[in-house]
Amino acid sequence: MSSSQMVTLTTSDNVDIQVERAVAERSILIKNLLEDLGGESGEAIPIPNVNESVMKKVLEWCEQHKKDPPATADDDSDSRKKSTDIDDWDQKFMQVDQEMLFEIILAANYLDIKALLDVGCKTVANMIKGKSPDEIRKTFNIQNDFTPEEEDQIRRENEWAEE
Amino acid sequence: MASGSFKRAPVTGGAAPRHNVLDSLRATQIVGSKPVLPAELIAQILDYLSIPDLLRFARTSRRMCEMVYDDTRWVSRLKAMGLWNDVEARRRAEEVRRRQMEIQKAREPEEEARRLGIVQGQSEAGVLGVGNAQRAGTTLFDAGWEEDRRRQSLEKAKAAQPPLETGFDAMTLSHVAAPNSATPRDPALALKAMMQVRSIRGYARQEYGKVYGAMAPFYFDLARAQSHTDPILFRTYREPEQQASMLASLKVFARSDIAMGWESREEKLESMMGIFENAALREFEQGYGAGDVDGRMRRYAHVLVVLNGGAAAVDAFIQSHALFSESGGLGMLLDCIQSVSPGHGGAGVRLEPAHDYFRRLASSLNEQGAVIDRVFPPSVNVLTPFIERVAEDIISEYITTLFDEAHERSLEAYLKVVPGVFEAAAKFSRSIQPSKASPPDFSNQVAHLVASKAFEQHIDLYLQEELDFFKRASDGEVTAWEKRLDDEQQSTESFLMSNVSRQAAKRDFLTSFRKVVMMPVSVLPTPFAGSAKPASSPNPNLATTSGGEVLSAPSSRPSTPALPERSSSPNPPVSELPTTELAAKAAIMASRLEGIRSLFSIEVALNIIHAAKSSLDRAALFVKFPITQAAGEAREQCEIIFVELLNQLGGRHIRPGFDKAVEHLSHYNPRKLKEHGGNQGQVAPLVTFLELVNVGDLIQQMVDVFYVQEMVAPKLVDRDDFLAAANKEKKRFEQMLDERVAAGLNKGIDVLMEEVEFIAATTQSATDFNPGAAGAVDVKSDAVVDVGPTETATRIVELVSSHTGMLVGSTDKNMLDVFNQEVGLRLFTALCKHLKRQRISVEGAIKLISDTNAYYSYIATLRNKSLTQYFAALRELSQIYLISSKHAKEIATIIADQDRYYGIFRAEEVYEFAERRADWYLVKRDVERAMYGIGCGVM
Repeated sequence: MSSSQMVTLTTSDNVDIQVERAVAERSILIKNLLEDLGGESGEAIPIPNVNESVMKKVLEWCEQHKKDPPATADDDSDSRKKSTDIDDWDQKFMQVDQEMLFEIILAANYLDIKALLDVGCKTVANMIKGKSPDEIRKTFNIQNDFTPEEEDQIRRENEWAEE
Repeated sequence: MASGSFKRAPVTGGAAPRHNVLDSLRATQIVGSKPVLPAELIAQILDYLSIPDLLRFARTSRRMCEMVYDDTRWVSRLKAMGLWNDVEARRRAEEVRRRQMEIQKAREPEEEARRLGIVQGQSEAGVLGVGNAQRAGTTLFDAGWEEDRRRQSLEKAKAAQPPLETGFDAMTLSHVAAPNSATPRDPALALKAMMQVRSIRGYARQEYGKVYGAMAPFYFDLARAQSHTDPILFRTYREPEQQASMLASLKVFARSDIAMGWESREEKLESMMGIFENAALREFEQGYGAGDVDGRMRRYAHVLVVLNGGAAAVDAFIQSHALFSESGGLGMLLDCIQSVSPGHGGAGVRLEPAHDYFRRLASSLNEQGAVIDRVFPPSVNVLTPFIERVAEDIISEYITTLFDEAHERSLEAYLKVVPGVFEAAAKFSRSIQPSKASPPDFSNQVAHLVASKAFEQHIDLYLQEELDFFKRASDGEVTAWEKRLDDEQQSTESFLMSNVSRQAAKRDFLTSFRKVVMMPVSVLPTPFAGSAKPASSPNPNLATTSGGEVLSAPSSRPSTPALPERSSSPNPPVSELPTTELAAKAAIMASRLEGIRSLFSIEVALNIIHAAKSSLDRAALFVKFPITQAAGEAREQCEIIFVELLNQLGGRHIRPGFDKAVEHLSHYNPRKLKEHGGNQGQVAPLVTFLELVNVGDLIQQMVDVFYVQEMVAPKLVDRDDFLAAANKEKKRFEQMLDERVAAGLNKGIDVLMEEVEFIAATTQSATDFNPGAAGAVDVKSDAVVDVGPTETATRIVELVSSHTGMLVGSTDKNMLDVFNQEVGLRLFTALCKHLKRQRISVEGAIKLISDTNAYYSYIATLRNKSLTQYFAALRELSQIYLISSKHAKEIATIIADQDRYYGIFRAEEVYEFAERRADWYLVKRDVERAMYGIGCGVM
């Protein structure tokens, strides 16, 4: 099994994308699929939940990070380890519109690419930082189902957190 | 609720028509195609948010609020700070449940609880929404009840310490609903915030809120601060104790900060703490320099302990301690080996300096322990690291030098110094008083420290050297002996030992041997034990030249077995007066066992065992080594030494001896050796061999005593552990010995029988049993008068009995029985053969009967029932010769009488014997007729 072997991925909009296996295997989903298929089949792998543009973006990230050490299982046990800062390349990479950002997060979640998912979540967290509830609602398209009194109640409950 | 499925939110572009087409299109796209993140992803995103952001996020919608309020999120933060107690939480939850059950059963909820519960529940129920009405109901009781509890405990606390709790009351009462943001600013309260966190399920957020409210302002302020004078923390709190306590709390708090950027914030906190620590440390050191033990030193030690456990203070305390700059101890230690000259044995080793040194060290450490108690709070164990340092820097350094020096000068000195100093150090560790903060197993810890820091590195080398030394010593011993043997072989001939109370002598010897073995090698019985090492010297004769106070002085015991020492002994084994019991005994044994000198020497065996004992005793000290691994190695090494001992003793010393003896035996031919008359009826090589068996047995018993005393008693080896190398080797040794003995005895019996046959053939004259045949009438009349056994019988009995007697007490009973049985049977066969060669007249029959009587009475002494029967049968048999030829019929009756012979002879055999009658041809016909006639009649 040479590492430069190519695999074909078929996106939701039926576009075939050729990609180096090592790159594709950043996705644990694809990696497991390939292992289950037993290597040399050359069949295209359908990725029905991701469209071409998102897939390309995701693969771009994978290409950049293909040398990273694989994530270890105990990584999420320490919640602090996760919240390191986003590195420069990733920061630039994540400078996309919000829709794409969410698509990337969803794709990363579906494809099981933990590191990418983390970066995405962090980017979203940064977007929330310092925003008022109203702004947050606007950004994330959340419908306010609180009465003003209820909202105020929550605010008062958590006054201790305000600086 | 959010589903994990990948669905798009419905288009909600209500505002679109107002803008142009393109705009609306774009707007629709943005809003409409906005993917909805599933809850799990939102939860993940929330992990990265800071607390204020998180709680603002909670205000956006019910769903988000629920997600933010999720208890596990807050529990994990409390856990990160180590403030959540699962057990406590469970207990509370169970109590609540029980209470609810009670209340529901009673059907009349307490008025007070309900009222509070509603007040409390309003906020909760409002937030959680109508869908949770059921759950909210339970929460009502929870809250009410918790409130009750809280108030009770509060009142108790207030009663206990009113001055400290100002402002506490109001805040705690209200904090569940909404902790007041103003209250945490109260400095005294903030200090306590951490301690008041309780683990209540469903209230983790509120509990965390308390801590956050108290800590966050300081924390974020600190993170933003430019210099160490900036943070409000240092302005709010003036006392260093408070500052330290706050900083320590912040450190804990920082662990719950998992929002992005925590690294830099923590770093900042660390550096602040570092600055603070340094300042406090400077104060501490200045106090130290000024000798201000109870003032500044004590104060800042406490500050530093509060801050971060006080490691820096402990370090500073230890580092600047005078003990480490002081020298002179080394010189003292080197005194131990001052008088040891290179190449010389270990005689010059003195251990008092080591003891003095360690005593001094211990007393100064104990002084320090008192100081430590005054300076440091009892929560900090300073003495242990202090001693660790002492062990690492002082003791280790000194003893390394000492050991190296000793090793260079003489190996033996080295071997003595190592365990000696170890012993002294062990005493030292025991003598150190624990300080107030010391853990209960303090002295173990100290011993462990001293051992690991100072001695561990030396142990391997030492054990190896010890083994090598023993190997060399025993090897040298055996080789030297072999060489001496070679030199003397021509000039020496075997001398026989006298037969006097062999068993008693052996028991005697073993008793003293046991005594010596049990005696400690006295590497260090007392600091002033002098250099007496009776047992560690390879030669027991020289062992106590320097003073044998441990052993009893030359008592009268050596002479108790008053037996004539052979003056003709070619090599007097002890030239000087033996000063120890054992040496004396050994000398006596040696002189007595002159006979086997040429085969192996008990002295050599003794010496080897001695060397093994001293090595083992020294090495065994390290089995008590506090480090398990090293102790295990030591134990292993002890086993190896024991195995080596058995190898040397068995393989190299005893086995060749036995082999040689067996070889001698097989070469023995009585017919060639005519001069054995001088030996009074003894087969020289067999005697030698039997002595050998004796000695072999003695050595085996020695080994056994040694094994019990040295290996089993100090628990070096488990007696039942059949896999242990020592046990296996011991078994092998014993087996080897048994095998040799058996082989030798086999040969010995052959030789003995040859001798018997030889005697029978050469000394039995034809007229003995047939006086009439020679025709000399006068001889015949003489013979009638003389009724004793013939000379031949006497000699045979003498010969055989002297040999069988020799084994009594030397081998075990079974072996002896087998031997006797074999000897008896073979003797029986030999005699039968012999008898069939004779011609016996009626007159001679009397002689023969006396002979068989003599054999019988000898055999009876062996107390072997079946054997006795054989000879009884023989005795009966001899009577057929007594019947005169006139009573041929009677002869036939006797021949046919099976019961007479205990079934040992068949009639045919008896008939054969009857043929040896001198007058056989006269009676033959009558006898035969009588026999077969009777037989026919019966038929």
